[in-house]
Amino acid sequence: MASSNISSDSQTGTFTIHYFATASQYTTKNTERLPAPLQLTQLFPLLEERYPGIREKVLVSCGISLEGEYVDIEEDATTVIQAGNEVAIIPPVSSG
Amino acid sequence: MTTEQSSLPAHLDPKTYPRTHHDPTQNIHLKLTYSPLDANTSLAQTSSPEAGANVLFLGTTRDTFEGRAVSQLSYTCYPPLALKTLTAIAKEAIKTHNLKGVSISHRMGIVPIGEASIAIAVSAGHRGAAWRAGEEVLEACKEKAEIWKREEFVDGGMEWRANADRDAEGKLIPEDS
Repeated sequence: MASSNISSDSQTGTFTIHYFATASQYTTKNTERLPAPLQLTQLFPLLEERYPGIREKVLVSCGISLEGEYVDIEEDATTVIQAGNEVAIIPPVSSG
Repeated sequence: MTTEQSSLPAHLDPKTYPRTHHDPTQNIHLKLTYSPLDANTSLAQTSSPEAGANVLFLGTTRDTFEGRAVSQLSYTCYPPLALKTLTAIAKEAIKTHNLKGVSISHRMGIVPIGEASIAIAVSAGHRGAAWRAGEEVLEACKEKAEIWKREEFVDGGMEWRANADRDAEGKLIPEDS
């Protein structure tokens, strides 16, 4: 669970990223580990490199959470994603 | 098989549910669950001797989307954010409408036709506040809660929905509005 992710992430220098809905459909993954540390501003370029076209087709309408809090790529430009962190890509929601 | 199971993140593993939050001081009850929802439980949670009005909303799986036959709906969520968002929605409604209780439950995984995916109960001193709060809580959940619906069609297709595309009457909202 979360705690085991954190310890293995810290050891391997990675962070965990979760994908939902259209983002998981595009990446064909629910979750994966990516190299840390990573500047927040480098997250979308990295995902675009791994999943060409994802930026325009999916990420443009998505939010990002880091450790359970929303972050903004422009306002939080100096933020660095650290080893062991949990990131989530949040597409437009559809409860109810 | 073992590898697949261990790589399934906890928030997608039904065994880690129900995930609940209960605030007894404000009578807030929140639940994310893979089990069927029970309307009586929602009503019982918000019942109060101070309440003269109790409103219940059940959102159920409809069998069509724009004339296309739907076989079932499936939901996923991100609990750390979803529970935080639902808590904020409940607190705001209590403050605005002086509610005596709020209960929000959302079902995850497959929800067959006719069964409830969301149950909302609110109680207030009088009916005006309860009606308004019930609608506001539902609309806020639809707008903000970190929960996603996938429609699976009888013809074999499937699509992830976005609530921002539709209004409360089910009508398409133009992109530039």
